[in-house]
Amino acid sequence: MIGSLIAQVGNLKDAASAAGQTQDSLILGEQYYFFTVVLMWLIHAGFMSYETGVARKKNALATAMKNILTIAVVTPTFYYFGWWIYNCNQPGLPIGPNSSDFTALACQGGIPWSDTFGPNLTNNINLVFFLAFLLFSWTTASIMSGAIIERARLTAYLILACALGSVVWILDAAWGWSAGGWLTLRFGFHDSIASGVVHGVAGAFTLGVLFQLGPRIGKYTREGLARQFRPHNLHMTLLGLMLIFTGFYAFYAACLVIASTAFPGWANIYLSPTTLGTIAMIITMGFAGGFTGGYFASRGDPFWTVSGGLAGVISVSAGADVYAPTLGYLIAMASAAIAVYAGDFIERKMRVDDAVGAVAVHGCMGFLGMFWVGVFAAGYPTGVNNVDSSIGGQLIGMATFLPLGFLTGYYMSWVMKKLNILRVPPEVELMGLDNAEYVPNLYLPEVATPGELIVEPDGTMVPSEAVLLAARDEVVV
Amino acid sequence: MPLLIDSAPDCIVHKEHYSGDDLADFILQDNYKDCAGFGTFMPGSTYGEDGSGAETLYMILTWVGIVVMVVVLVAWVLYENRRLIGAVAGVSAAGTPIEGVFAPTAPQEPPLQSGTAGDDR
Repeated sequence: MIGSLIAQVGNLKDAASAAGQTQDSLILGEQYYFFTVVLMWLIHAGFMSYETGVARKKNALATAMKNILTIAVVTPTFYYFGWWIYNCNQPGLPIGPNSSDFTALACQGGIPWSDTFGPNLTNNINLVFFLAFLLFSWTTASIMSGAIIERARLTAYLILACALGSVVWILDAAWGWSAGGWLTLRFGFHDSIASGVVHGVAGAFTLGVLFQLGPRIGKYTREGLARQFRPHNLHMTLLGLMLIFTGFYAFYAACLVIASTAFPGWANIYLSPTTLGTIAMIITMGFAGGFTGGYFASRGDPFWTVSGGLAGVISVSAGADVYAPTLGYLIAMASAAIAVYAGDFIERKMRVDDAVGAVAVHGCMGFLGMFWVGVFAAGYPTGVNNVDSSIGGQLIGMATFLPLGFLTGYYMSWVMKKLNILRVPPEVELMGLDNAEYVPNLYLPEVATPGELIVEPDGTMVPSEAVLLAARDEVVV
Repeated sequence: MPLLIDSAPDCIVHKEHYSGDDLADFILQDNYKDCAGFGTFMPGSTYGEDGSGAETLYMILTWVGIVVMVVVLVAWVLYENRRLIGAVAGVSAAGTPIEGVFAPTAPQEPPLQSGTAGDDR
């Protein structure tokens, strides 16, 4: 009898201890995601600095404002729609096996009028987890924003940002970036730190937009050769990239699930075990390999060397939870070199005016990253059905994401082009967006007398005035 | 009693004074001990009702936010369009838009930069 009582007391103590552990774990998780969110703001400070530096002086303020206003529109749209899309649409189309109700409980947390998606004393995690995803949403929009600078309307960008940040990427995340998404459940699709889910899809969407938007006035000669608009502040651009890199560590960290009461304490987005050290190691090796590959492929060009670091990291992100460090290093080096040539191909052969190389760095590397997992990291159980990662599963994921991103961007831009709300008038583009949309002389006195040069295809630099005036009638608006 | 709007959910009780028993690790939790969703205009779900949806003012408030968001986006498009039309009209009235924007600059031919157009890589 006494023994039984002691045993019961022991059980109660264990239960209390377990409850306490769970509570501590939730509070720790809340803090963890909060700080990743804070640090991920650096990504957006970086994108702003990066793109503003690339822009010509007459567009610097408009470029910076565009980045900042991303937050103004993607935040509410993601709150009202995005989180619902992620939490309530993971089974995808209700066909075939495994259209499970795995996410039924989580779905409640995605409805904006649910009491767990607001101040709630019994749920510490939902809001901070939402915020981490929101910062990913800003990132997807920022990936597009740099590519379309200097000729897209602010509001055209904002509407496209809402579509990309609050619908397109989060839909592919629901399908392939959760333990219950149909791509994961049925095909073992594995994209741990969002090579394709964030970067690839954003790059594909951006390419679709660029096809409709057209190049900047004067970007190409009548013969189709590419001119170069010189960045007005390359140091600002490089600093921006460094800020993005710093924020990327938080991005990586936020892609993990923290579970401090169970060994090893961390899981990837598919709830398979990994460690924080693993992904931190791979991102660092990815930078190392990426810088190296970018440097040699571009023959030391500063822009592509540093962009190569970004390309390298994106290419190893999909398998960053399992890759060996050396593998991450080599994949990143090779991928960054490919990114340089891809950027060259997109600009000169496809004649797509991507001002920052976003399609090459984010789009191409995002899809390549998904592919590498099928080649180098097959056989890892992924998702609650424990389907192994494989090249087939990765190809199915890529085949799903490419049209989702590209066609949405292409047709949304097509509609906006028909409504004449996609691009600024040629007069405004020539005078500079700052002059038309802001009060540049108040903030940037140098804008009034830019005296800008342009690099001709043969490498000579000439004043841009005559070139742009001559090219004014060539642009397809 | 609030002067204008009592937006606190019903699950929150209003005690006159706190007692020492209310205090747990610096949190005055007694007023909230039955409360889960405690935000303004929320229905005030209690512990154990995790995930219930609001059917009251909170839902109306949410939809007000959605409508405002859509209206703002549309208004933004119209506002920018008007500004751009105004800018074009302004420069048309003043002559070619390029004058006064581009300062004359002497042609320069600095050395070819690696990785730029014209590079033979």
